Amino acid sequence: MTLLMLSKNTCLVLTYNGLFQRECLSIHIGQAGIQIGDACWELYCLEHGIQPDGILLDSKQHQLENANMEHMSTSFNTFFCETRAGNHVPRALFMDLEPTVIDGIRTGKYRSLFHPEQLVSGKEDAANNYARGRYSVGSEIIDLVLERIRKLAEQCSGLQGFLIFRSFGGGTGSGFTSLLMEQLSAEYSRKTKLEFAVYPAPRISTAVVEPYNSILTTHSTIEHLDCAFMVDNEALYDICHHKLGVERPSYANINRLIGQVVSSITASLRFEGPLNVDLIEFQTNLVPYPRIHFPMTTFAPIISAEKTYHVQPSVSDITAACFELSNQLVKCNPQLGKYMACCLLYRGDVIPKDVNAAIAAVKSRNSVQFVDWCPTGFKVGVNNHPPEVMPGGDLAKLRRAVCMLSNTTAIVEAWARLDHKFDLMYAKRAFLHWYIQEGMEQGEFSEAREDLAALEKDYEEVGHSS
Amino acid sequence: MSDTGTSDVIGRRVEVNGELATVRFSGIVPPVAGLWLGVEWDNPERGKHDGSHEGTVYFKCRHPTGGSFIRPNKVNFGIDFLTAVKNRYILEDGPEEDGKEQVVVIGNKPVETIGFDSVIKQQSELSKLQDISLRSCAVSGAGDKGGIAKACPNIRKIDLSKNLLSSWEEVICIADQLQHLEVLNLSENKLKFPSVSPPLTGTFSSLKVLVLNRTGITWAEVLQCASAWPVLEELYLESDNICISERPTDVLQMVKLLDLSSNQSIDENQLFLIAYLPRLEQLILSNTGISSIHFPDAEIGCKTSMFPSLQYLVVNDNRISQWSFINELEKLQRLQALSCLRNPLTAASPDSKEAQTTRQLIIAKIGQLKTLNKCEVLPEERRGAELDYRKAFGSDWKKAGGHQDPDKNRPSEDFLAAHPRFQLLCLKYGAPEDAEFQIQQPFMLKNQLLNSMTVQKVKGLLSRLLKVPVSELQLSYESPKMPGREIILENDLQSLQFYSVESGDCLLVRW
Repeated sequence: MTLLMLSKNTCLVLTYNGLFQRECLSIHIGQAGIQIGDACWELYCLEHGIQPDGILLDSKQHQLENANMEHMSTSFNTFFCETRAGNHVPRALFMDLEPTVIDGIRTGKYRSLFHPEQLVSGKEDAANNYARGRYSVGSEIIDLVLERIRKLAEQCSGLQGFLIFRSFGGGTGSGFTSLLMEQLSAEYSRKTKLEFAVYPAPRISTAVVEPYNSILTTHSTIEHLDCAFMVDNEALYDICHHKLGVERPSYANINRLIGQVVSSITASLRFEGPLNVDLIEFQTNLVPYPRIHFPMTTFAPIISAEKTYHVQPSVSDITAACFELSNQLVKCNPQLGKYMACCLLYRGDVIPKDVNAAIAAVKSRNSVQFVDWCPTGFKVGVNNHPPEVMPGGDLAKLRRAVCMLSNTTAIVEAWARLDHKFDLMYAKRAFLHWYIQEGMEQGEFSEAREDLAALEKDYEEVGHSS
Repeated sequence: MSDTGTSDVIGRRVEVNGELATVRFSGIVPPVAGLWLGVEWDNPERGKHDGSHEGTVYFKCRHPTGGSFIRPNKVNFGIDFLTAVKNRYILEDGPEEDGKEQVVVIGNKPVETIGFDSVIKQQSELSKLQDISLRSCAVSGAGDKGGIAKACPNIRKIDLSKNLLSSWEEVICIADQLQHLEVLNLSENKLKFPSVSPPLTGTFSSLKVLVLNRTGITWAEVLQCASAWPVLEELYLESDNICISERPTDVLQMVKLLDLSSNQSIDENQLFLIAYLPRLEQLILSNTGISSIHFPDAEIGCKTSMFPSLQYLVVNDNRISQWSFINELEKLQRLQALSCLRNPLTAASPDSKEAQTTRQLIIAKIGQLKTLNKCEVLPEERRGAELDYRKAFGSDWKKAGGHQDPDKNRPSEDFLAAHPRFQLLCLKYGAPEDAEFQIQQPFMLKNQLLNSMTVQKVKGLLSRLLKVPVSELQLSYESPKMPGREIILENDLQSLQFYSVESGDCLLVRW
């Protein structure tokens, strides 16, 4: 038996890392995830003063156009990793089963920002087929993706969790994400996983089999996700068209808008703020039951760039705008449901007095109904760093903005629509053979559908007065 | 206060219960004793009279109910800038309710407010403030000399909209103390401007963005003050009833963006006066009522020297109804983006075929347009639009004297004026062949169509006549009572009467 003898003069020194970093890894899957990611990281770079090659404007001692540089702190290390050369590399992984979209990033403006290993592409795409993304084609690339994620995670001293960006309707977005979620839960069991999902629009369809893909992926990922923020293309098209004066909104217009919303949600993770909202805090405050984790997102104000300075919305104005249907990013009617939790994330020139007054004004609205069993109404976050907008974009410069995340029972309308479309096709077993031939079984379809039916019932139950 | 009142009260901007007004008179109004202030309200209907009382005219108002007499103690003369900043960004006392956080109750749900103290503490550090908003804070002046410069010298952006600033001199007093000021918003302040240019003192040496919406400023006043804004890049003059009266010669030369929206007095001739601003890249003329534009220095097919740097033009919500407007825009050297929504020319509902055609025509008519109504014009779209344009107007071109043989090609002046790019498109894609011209002529049916006939029967008739299978026929009709609307006859089993087809309507057949 050997004893490790420590002499009286030595002592065990624990290295203290100072600020314990709470890093977040963003994973962008499929065309939707990647293009949204493009818009997001572009906006993050603008907000932090990081140039397309990863160098911080500050260190180059340029004339600082953006005077907010003085507030620079290491908070943005949650999203960016600083290399020895002074480059700031995003903590992100972009993956797709086919190369075209990722090649866009490899040859685009931000190609020097990302390390080549962060951009993973396969050769054969999922062809809008969940089964291909999940089983056949996806399984070939999953190990590579996990390995890359491991590498990114190793660079983190205190990984908080993952932010996943994907669409429900695509093959990679639905199938591969399901596969990835399972593996991530196994390997990183205690890490939070939040996702931003593009929900299939009610009246605009990009693929006939969207309902299948959406239901299948929701069924397989519901256990592994902590919170899912949904946006739907139709609501975004309407916002772009009616509020921003865009005649025919393209994905570029929509993604910039989504980028603003994602930036608002992650602002307190990237900037020092009085109300630092960790990823875990989102869960705790928004998710009453594990399965009821689909909050609705609303953003205000949405003003067209040509109308910059024509109106000056106050904190009360933008708070009230959060309860208008036209500012929602998912098409559903919250007046038909009840709120279970509400998170108001303000950024920019917002003082507590104004917030209190704004919320007091909301109370007089009869349409905002809460469930009986919910103890607290709103959670408020304030980040004083002002919102940035992409130059030449559609949005006007904003002094202050708010992003509201509300868990409302009305979102069951979105699931009901999807389930209905699923049923119509499944009744005739239409398009099923594409999935079967990739190795899926019919049983999985009925299982998924039952799960979603149970989800609808869960929503109904929580909405009922106790 | 003396009977005649202090003269420096006249012209001050004040606030009474949320309504803003200008003091026009101060003194005694017999028979009631005591000092009265005569105010002219911003809202012309708020007052009781026009400044006269029992026959005596004390002050003048623009509207018969624009004025009132008020006791001085009911009137808020406003606070100075520094006090306003402190009010907003510093908590006066400590946390209320013996250290507990503020709790607001909504219905039966209390709202947690967490961490507001630290927000408040952070914002207290006035010297760190760079971007502040003092909208509707009743700021009427700069306060003690040097106070602002001492307390918060690093301010770069201020929103001072809807306050009680009454003169440009007050603004200068504030701005003098803020050397780094870059963005200044003075909207909704009724400012009095000096009659001569104020002396240049380097006050606005860093000012890049100036917002003067709804201040009532005139163009002459803008130019007078503009010599103090050497590096100004963005100037916003929305809803100021501006009439451009003279050309800016040494001022406004760095301006990149000019917003003249909602100034109904602007017409196209005034635009010539701002046409030589060398750096002007974006011009916003929404809701100004313009209907035409003309660049007389350039002939058809040539580029104008006016607006040399203009890249983005916004003309939404106007009265543009002629294609000649679009034709003229082709003469601009650098125009890349155009927003032209909600004009009579483009008023069709967005998803209709008409809107699609309008978009295509605009793209074809303006060669270097890269963005139209905030949608990118992709190369394929441009190609399609230009080819369609060439085909659509090919027969007109022929009729006007055009010809595939370049020696014989002599289209009329009128045609060239209406389609300035046509020749260019012919060069690019080749002259249109005769066979491409689709000539649609209405023809009379020998048999009468009865109201009671079903759509199917009509299709059968037409199919025999045109020798086209029934399944390929699509019927619709247009009524002279509803011009521009085409109603599709979808259901084969319904009668013409069901679709309200009446005699005189034009039946359209497509296959």
